[in-house]
Amino acid sequence: MTTIAAQPGEAHPAHADDRTFLRKYFFSTDHKIIGIQFLLMSLLFLLLGGILAMVIRWQMGYPNQPMPGGGVLPETMAPGGVVLPEFYTSLVTMHGTFMVFFAIMPLLVGVFGNYLIPLKIGAPDMAFPRLNMASFWIAVPAGILMIAGFFVEGGHASAGWTSYAPLSANPEYTGVSLGQQIWCVSLIVLGLSSILGAVNYISTVINLRAPGMTWFRLPLSIWALFITAILVLLAMPILSGALIMLLFDQTLGTHFFLPPQGGQPLLWQHLFWFFGHPEVYILILPAMGFVSDIIANGSRKPVFGYHSMVFAIIAIGFLGWMVWGHHMFQSGMNPTLGTSFMIATMLIAVPSAIKVFNWLGTVWGGNVRLHVPMLHALAFVSMFVIGGLSGVFMASTPVDIYIHDTYFIVAHLHYVLFGGSLFAIFAAITFWYPKMFGRLMNPTLGKIHFWLTFVFYNLVFFPMHQLGLQGHMRRIYDPSTYEFLRPLAGLNRFISISAFLLFASQILFVINFIGSWWRGRKAPENPWEDTGLEWTTPSPPPHGNWARTPTVHHAPYEFSHPRATGDFLPQTQPLPAEVGGGAPAGTPAQH
Amino acid sequence: MTDAAHAMPAGEAMLPPAEAELGSGVYNEKLGMWVFLLSEVMFFTALIGSYIILRFSRPEAWAAPGEVLNIPITAVNTFILICSSVTMVKAYAAAADGHQQALRWWLVATVLIGATFVGVQAFEYTQLVHHEFVPSAGLYGSTFYTMTGFHGFHVTMGVLCMMFVTWRAFHGAYTPTDHRGVEVIGLYWHFVDLVWIILFTIVYLI
Amino acid sequence: MEHAARRHPNYIGVWFFLAVLTAAELGVAFLPRFSKQTIILFLILLAVWKALLVALYFMHLRFENNRIRLLVVAPLPLAAILVVAVIQEFR
Repeated sequence: MTTIAAQPGEAHPAHADDRTFLRKYFFSTDHKIIGIQFLLMSLLFLLLGGILAMVIRWQMGYPNQPMPGGGVLPETMAPGGVVLPEFYTSLVTMHGTFMVFFAIMPLLVGVFGNYLIPLKIGAPDMAFPRLNMASFWIAVPAGILMIAGFFVEGGHASAGWTSYAPLSANPEYTGVSLGQQIWCVSLIVLGLSSILGAVNYISTVINLRAPGMTWFRLPLSIWALFITAILVLLAMPILSGALIMLLFDQTLGTHFFLPPQGGQPLLWQHLFWFFGHPEVYILILPAMGFVSDIIANGSRKPVFGYHSMVFAIIAIGFLGWMVWGHHMFQSGMNPTLGTSFMIATMLIAVPSAIKVFNWLGTVWGGNVRLHVPMLHALAFVSMFVIGGLSGVFMASTPVDIYIHDTYFIVAHLHYVLFGGSLFAIFAAITFWYPKMFGRLMNPTLGKIHFWLTFVFYNLVFFPMHQLGLQGHMRRIYDPSTYEFLRPLAGLNRFISISAFLLFASQILFVINFIGSWWRGRKAPENPWEDTGLEWTTPSPPPHGNWARTPTVHHAPYEFSHPRATGDFLPQTQPLPAEVGGGAPAGTPAQH
Repeated sequence: MTDAAHAMPAGEAMLPPAEAELGSGVYNEKLGMWVFLLSEVMFFTALIGSYIILRFSRPEAWAAPGEVLNIPITAVNTFILICSSVTMVKAYAAAADGHQQALRWWLVATVLIGATFVGVQAFEYTQLVHHEFVPSAGLYGSTFYTMTGFHGFHVTMGVLCMMFVTWRAFHGAYTPTDHRGVEVIGLYWHFVDLVWIILFTIVYLI
Repeated sequence: MEHAARRHPNYIGVWFFLAVLTAAELGVAFLPRFSKQTIILFLILLAVWKALLVALYFMHLRFENNRIRLLVVAPLPLAAILVVAVIQEFR
């Protein structure tokens, strides 16, 4: 075992693993188990968020009509299966809340941050394994609390996932009191879980890289997770502070955001979006990192422009702190401030574009393998481009004044969060599933799932750009009450039907996920013939990951090296020696 | 192979991990505490920043310094908290030098002085409430109680952790070659003192 | 960092200085001769000075390597951006 400072009592591979079942799989300090725990929890919330979306789409497609199966819902939500307006507003609020905080963020950071970081840097576990366990077990009550909000008097939070004050602070406006408070408390608790996780990820990447794993030999997935962890560390506490002030306004009679007696609603918006903008980069950066790893693997080529990819990640992380006001162009904020936000927002398109060009440059001329993760990763790139382009429109204040709070925004956010993050999540789950569970997912099911998802997803969200440009507002209960929206009823129905088919297609993923765990083909150590350190240990890895700390010899992504015999070189294997000295032209620089 | 914790040569616990690339240059626990403190900086930024912003927006909502809040008592309390920082750092020095008795008693002093600070603050609160200065008393009350309350909460958590460290010290857990726990709780404690130094100035004196 | 032949900074000296600065703050706060603006400026300077003493000597930042020091100052500009930007709303 290595001489890395270990927690007293921590088991390590040279001893027999004599932990009890509970310690091994439930209250485990092993980062791999914790990663899988986050995976199972987040997938459940992804399902829950998706179900809420189905109810929303029912109401949008078939306003005021009884929903099939709606009879199971109580009278306070949907009497006779017809969704009530109050329930609808809590649905849009909770769809966003569950998806952002309990599905996408933990899937990207909690799952893959935990699972991949120690494995890909050559460490036996996180820097603080017990703190890691605490991180997970703190997130669980936060999730339970957030679900409980549906069952309290007055219903769940209904002020949008952005919870603007005074709508969220004064129960007279939404009719919801306890639900809003629960929403605040749950997110405060979840924030603590995230912050403790970030401390772990940052400390681990800084201090526990294996010998030879210098900063510029880190895979891009790890760079992305590292910068993301910094964003989590510094942004979540701002939200926590804002939530506390909101909670106090709701319960203690304070006046932070309530105008009588001097409170400032704009203060809430500034605080929320100062957190909220870094939050959306938290939701995309890890995805970009995974896509880089997977595209290199699928192209059998190193990532084009590795260094510029790293600087782009850092630039996005840095610039992301300066653009928050672009969510507030319609708020009545100081116009000069607005202009500076517009300029900064347009700037941030540059590093994002650099990344897109580099992904394309990676695939170009590669010996492309269209395995399931590669399909999802390529979908990520194309869908992210669309989402990013709509972002450029929104960055311009005069344009945004027209399209703010319309379905154009809904289209944009779903292109980057679903077309972007979720496809990357599907890619990552499929890619690292064999390592996690020791089984291969079924590739045929995977491909069918991919294509159905890709097609229906575009049928759902692309038309929303059109809806938005024609003035369709977001979060409204019944579009048919507005004369100018009545011609859009057909389009809404088309979107809803596509959404139901999109949701149904996910059954294939569920079957593949559960079925492969139970009966999938056993996975070898390196099924994807990849260069990362995680593929130099069995699938799944033992507790402690390696018997001896690995040594890293070169940069990541050494695919198709001119002097190698195979088409990939693990990072633990030295580069083939040169014959006669002097590198041949075109050899990748050796770091 | 023996358990990793005993395989290390003396003193290595307080150095960066041996078989790793050069990272922060400090051991994991110290790095972790500093990283955590950065998140705390942002947390207090949200609260204190909001106070500054709200005060800018409506200065007339605040009373003049000393009119409502008790400056003499709080000034003494500030001094008390600074004293506890001194006892803390003396405890750290004692641990580094291997003076077990001194370590234990400096830690006990820190716990007691820290608890005194919280007690005085709680007393101050009861006095203020008695004079109808409550959280719902306009922007002044809202910001005062939220900032000082969360600071007090952090001090309380610190006192509890300090009690644990003191208990460990009485069981001889800290040696000159490994007193990580003392250094790490010390960092947290000094941070909490530092925040109070800022708070005392801008909440009570301005 | 070497722990063998360790000489500690003068903690008591720092403590004395902190006490003096605290007294100075009280003096400045209640001296009638300065304008409100000047008082605020002095108070903030004194508070920052005290905070630096705690950070540099009690938290030992004076003796840490540059990486840790860089890590610690990194979020401060962010905090400043938030406050400075939002204050513009209320000028």
